[in-house]
Amino acid sequence: MNRNRVILPALAATLLGLPVSAGGASGTAADARSNVSRAEYLRGYQQRAQVIASYYDTSMAGDYYCAAARYASGKDIRTADSMFVAALKRPGGDMFWMFSCIGAYLNGKDRMSPETKAAVRNAWKTYAPYRGDTENHWAMYYSSLFLASEQWPGLPGSEWYNGKSSEENRADAKDYLIHWMEIATTIGQGEFDTPHYFTEYAVSMSLLADFAKDPDMKQRGKMMLDYLLVDFADEQLDGQYLGGYSRIYQPEVYMPITCPASAFAWLYFGTGEPVVSYWVLLPAIGEYRLPQIIHRIATDRSRSYVERERKRVRNVIRFGKEKNPPVYKYTYVTKEYGIGSLQGGLLQPIQQHTWGIQYTYGRPFTTIFGLHPYWSSYELGMFFPEEIKPLIADVVGSKGTYNNPDKWTGGSPFERTFQYRNTLIVLYDIEPGTMTEHIDGFFPRNLQERVADSSGWVFCKAGDTYIGWYPLQAGVWTQEADNWRFRSNHLRNGEVVEVRSKSEIGSFEKFCGALRLRRPGAELEPGNVAVEYTTLGGDRMNFRFPGRRTLNGKNVDLTKTPLFDGPFLHAAVGSQKLSITYGKEKLNLDFKQLTITE
Amino acid sequence: MHGMNTIRTLAVVVILAALLPPCVPAQSTVYSSVLATHLFVVGAANPQTGVFFQHPGDDTVWSHTGSKTIRAFNVALGPGSHGRVIYIAGGNGVHLSRDGGRTWKITTGWQITEVMCVAPDPADTNTVYCTTPYGVFKTTDGCSTWREMNTGLTALYIPSLIVEKGGLLCCVSEDGLFRSTDGGGRWDRMALSVSGTRILAQSPADPSFLIAGTENYGLYVSHDGGTIWTRSESGVDHLTFYAVAFDPVNPDIVYAGGYVTGVYKSLDGAKTWKRTNEGLANLNVHAIAVDPLDHNRVYAATLWGGVFSSVDGGAHWKSAGLSGSQVWSIVIHTL
Repeated sequence: MNRNRVILPALAATLLGLPVSAGGASGTAADARSNVSRAEYLRGYQQRAQVIASYYDTSMAGDYYCAAARYASGKDIRTADSMFVAALKRPGGDMFWMFSCIGAYLNGKDRMSPETKAAVRNAWKTYAPYRGDTENHWAMYYSSLFLASEQWPGLPGSEWYNGKSSEENRADAKDYLIHWMEIATTIGQGEFDTPHYFTEYAVSMSLLADFAKDPDMKQRGKMMLDYLLVDFADEQLDGQYLGGYSRIYQPEVYMPITCPASAFAWLYFGTGEPVVSYWVLLPAIGEYRLPQIIHRIATDRSRSYVERERKRVRNVIRFGKEKNPPVYKYTYVTKEYGIGSLQGGLLQPIQQHTWGIQYTYGRPFTTIFGLHPYWSSYELGMFFPEEIKPLIADVVGSKGTYNNPDKWTGGSPFERTFQYRNTLIVLYDIEPGTMTEHIDGFFPRNLQERVADSSGWVFCKAGDTYIGWYPLQAGVWTQEADNWRFRSNHLRNGEVVEVRSKSEIGSFEKFCGALRLRRPGAELEPGNVAVEYTTLGGDRMNFRFPGRRTLNGKNVDLTKTPLFDGPFLHAAVGSQKLSITYGKEKLNLDFKQLTITE
Repeated sequence: MHGMNTIRTLAVVVILAALLPPCVPAQSTVYSSVLATHLFVVGAANPQTGVFFQHPGDDTVWSHTGSKTIRAFNVALGPGSHGRVIYIAGGNGVHLSRDGGRTWKITTGWQITEVMCVAPDPADTNTVYCTTPYGVFKTTDGCSTWREMNTGLTALYIPSLIVEKGGLLCCVSEDGLFRSTDGGGRWDRMALSVSGTRILAQSPADPSFLIAGTENYGLYVSHDGGTIWTRSESGVDHLTFYAVAFDPVNPDIVYAGGYVTGVYKSLDGAKTWKRTNEGLANLNVHAIAVDPLDHNRVYAATLWGGVFSSVDGGAHWKSAGLSGSQVWSIVIHTL
């Protein structure tokens, strides 16, 4: 889905006067970016939006985005009409078609020809999009259908692809969207923190915020877009999403800056690389503007912090009594790196990213992570209604790495994590006979240092970020195209990971020296997999697979994790309220009252 | 006055003619529901999915009806509607046509999704059941409104449901079989509580004769309406069964199929089984149907292999089209 993504050359961006993050920005620079005035921010935003819009309003690619950009700018409406009509002769793409089509229409309906309008109307009568089966599909489907039904009220079912009248479609779409917003703000998003699919939600909410006639839905669209963007902002560094994700593909997983979400980071936060992507075209020509406080949160990395969040597992339809068990996410954010984790286990099918370190050095390979490459019809049967036994073959048809023992994405029922600040323990207790009986670690080839020390630690240097990785079992290093792979063929296994930056600990040698004095104590017997470790910060972590975690002798109860808890975001489970704070600035999103207060 | 009577008489004749089924020789129409053909990726340019019906006279040619990419799990014909009322259980909900497939409406809202089975009540044209991974839903007003009917169910993944002769309901769940005596108001566990039950079939000749197929434990048979179940193992080399079909004429003949099983046939009321796969190029059988007008004509719907047909009671099979398709159900409608 990265087609149509253009990275602007740094020089071109500089000529345009756009901020280009060089990576590894100093704390002072980050502060400077977060302290810009509203006028300065809006000026920068407008410049970035203009870069995107002007790319599409001159492009002859002939798609809905080129038409939408021309309608928005008022340039060459005849070309826009002809592009739109031509595209409508071959509608396809289900909900991806729906939002791009209605987005182009809403931007151009006051300028397009009657014939173009008629072609759009006819398409919504004759082309029947599939609704899909994921949360992002439904966000696109129902936000688009809601907006379309508002545009053509009073029509009978015979005028719509699904046989429902305008009023039936509007009511159904509104009901779902409100349901989704309620559940997301009550127990968390199911398809959470996904660098790949963030865009689908953001575009959908952007369209609602810009074009919904129903004032409640317009307000909901704006509030949810604020909600999504601030959720991203405080777990974002240099344009890349940090920590664990619900869904991501490879190679994006080891090139985080190439994810579609990064286009939003550049547009709204001014972080990461200047990038033009069709995903941001409709927001870029829209009227929504990011609240200043969210920009400050996205760009101020002057102080390190812990962000804890609760999300939910995708709907479990088999092999479980709970439909949406909780996901606990923990992320430590600094100006040079972030390290984050989900608690482990199967939380999402196929594309889960349970934990990772992302840093500002060495784009695009800015991450180190590990996993147990797992696949099974059991996992797929948990989430998909089709027959269990043929499901792996079905999935591999479109997601070819799913059953690849060398893959870099996916959760495992035999993996669990325990994180405290910038220290992470990962344990594996792999059932004998599982498809793969190894664990893998991803280390980019562009690391400045990657030293397997006689102490047992692996020391890595990525610019000003230092990573220590202590494998609990022996393994083998293999050089691959973009990375080194550390593979360990032991069923009871794990690693302790420490991350520090130059500003936190000083020199790389000092970091290595400090870690050499620390050896995790591990028990790796059948049914008894545990680690005891004292961190560089002097905190004693005890972790017994699968879920007994103690810190300095006290039990760590993940079930008490709030919806959001960090220096900037606070939300209690069930509250439907998100409190955003930055210094003395505040923004409160109340989804029960539909109010935004400062 | 005489002229008026003539007009009235003519009008009555015209109305009656419109209401009566067309006077044509009895024939069967075969409907198949296709979940995917080759590869289905949401948002991609997928081949047609949904419901197809077979052209009379050429059993390898199929025509599509309804929306083009709806991922159809199951299709059902409205009882007594002479093929005019068609229901599709699809990913987007329950699709309904009241004019033989000319126009369609999705009758369900967002709450009802991934519909795996739709079962009209033969006794009441306004009552229809559907099953989903989230339980059972029912309409009693001709699909205008639907309501959840899950009281008593201990698992909500319900791949199929049958309206038994006599009006009882039986649904097949991830947690075994459940029966309702009050139209789905409350479900009670039946004696067969094997996890991963997949299919249930009732003999047309003997309503107390039931056969269940399971994900991991093979076939189970009951001869007393579901109180006592016995595993039917003789001649069975497989464990995963998605399909069971009774011969409409000979009550001792039963067919069954599932994951890499091909077609099993029993000639003694499910006491013993024998595989009968000559010509069956795909052994993942998801549905089996026997033509009521010619019980030697049997169809097998396969996963990724399309439809196969036999004219000799399953002794020999040949491809009957929809190659490359995951065909989840096959229904034979007889006029």
